[in-house]
Amino acid sequence: MKLTHTWVFYISLLSFCYSVSQENDNITINDSLNLKKEKSINLRVGFDLYRIILSRVSDDFDGFEIVGDFKVSENFFIALELGNLDITKQVEQVNFTTNGNYFKVGFDYNMFENLEGMNNHITLGARIGSSRHDQTLNSYTILDRTRYWTNSDLPITNGFATGERPDLNALWFEVVLNFKVQILKNIYTGISLRLNRLISDKIPSNFDNIYIPGFNKKTQDNVFGAGFNYTLTYNFSLLSKK
Amino acid sequence: MFKPIIKFCASLLTLILVINCERDDICIEEIQESPDLIILMLDIENKTERKVPSGFSILAIGNNEELPSRGSLDSIALPLKIQENIVQFEFIINQGTSNENIDTLQINYKRFDSFINSACGFRSNYILEKQPATILNPGNNWIKGFTILRDTISDETNAHLGILH
Repeated sequence: MKLTHTWVFYISLLSFCYSVSQENDNITINDSLNLKKEKSINLRVGFDLYRIILSRVSDDFDGFEIVGDFKVSENFFIALELGNLDITKQVEQVNFTTNGNYFKVGFDYNMFENLEGMNNHITLGARIGSSRHDQTLNSYTILDRTRYWTNSDLPITNGFATGERPDLNALWFEVVLNFKVQILKNIYTGISLRLNRLISDKIPSNFDNIYIPGFNKKTQDNVFGAGFNYTLTYNFSLLSKK
Repeated sequence: MFKPIIKFCASLLTLILVINCERDDICIEEIQESPDLIILMLDIENKTERKVPSGFSILAIGNNEELPSRGSLDSIALPLKIQENIVQFEFIINQGTSNENIDTLQINYKRFDSFINSACGFRSNYILEKQPATILNPGNNWIKGFTILRDTISDETNAHLGILH
């Protein structure tokens, strides 16, 4: 019990909903008593709050992610994420815009043993992710360590290598650690941490996929990346008597 | 039950942190920068023979700074302008004597840029035009002609343009 509370505290601190979750533990306990003997079909659908907030706050980010999972057995879920992204980034010497869609499909396995009536999750899962995107190079500077002529350090903003590289794609694999807490009846908040490994990507001509929608930042020398989301989901529960 | 989970979370978090600060963001010194034009001073009578003019120096037009001295007297690296398709130099022989002769040279080229990585940006490369250089002050020139050795300037391993005199 003590450990459970530690977890509840920890997760709710992360989700800024400490007071809410404390209150509602009781509600869920009462609520679930009559669900015991029935088999239910559980479909949880929601969206990523982090990307919505970031879209509002930042001029350079515009994106959303829809998440969903379907309960297959007691602790096993099929999971899906769909997203759209338009992001402009200045990374060192290049400024570019990445625009595209992605989907991730896979499973989550719950490792958290709930107390009677609680319905929280700590899941470990895997995904296959795929994106279709394009990269637009907005500006860049030219590598010249011994600048002799003035203005040679000005960024190139049109012509030459700038412009759009359409029809790109990427494929990757993710390991997902997911914390989900029920904050109200059928409403959950979740945080997931993702470790990505790139399988393949179509490289834009005379440029690179520095950022891939869904995969996030791709580094030059290794194929690993990381991701995260902060979700709010609603559980549609259809009861079917045995 | 909980210990392995905590361990796993900790290691995953650490891994994510490590991945987010790797050395990708630094342009290392070994990366070759944008190349300069390498010219060779060649003998007009024997086009494969190098010949050093006497009292020879080069001044850039539009920049009073001395040219970075690289190479020897008969093989010289000239920085090209990124923002324009031409660059002009004064080639001076017998400097300071009564025979001083200045030829004003314009070098004509096209530029194309190739991607290195996000930390270094792009490298500029050049292609010499069919007429790689023009003399802007015709009459009594000591430079007799030009010969393209390599028209694509993407490295500095060999000379690109021969100047015959």
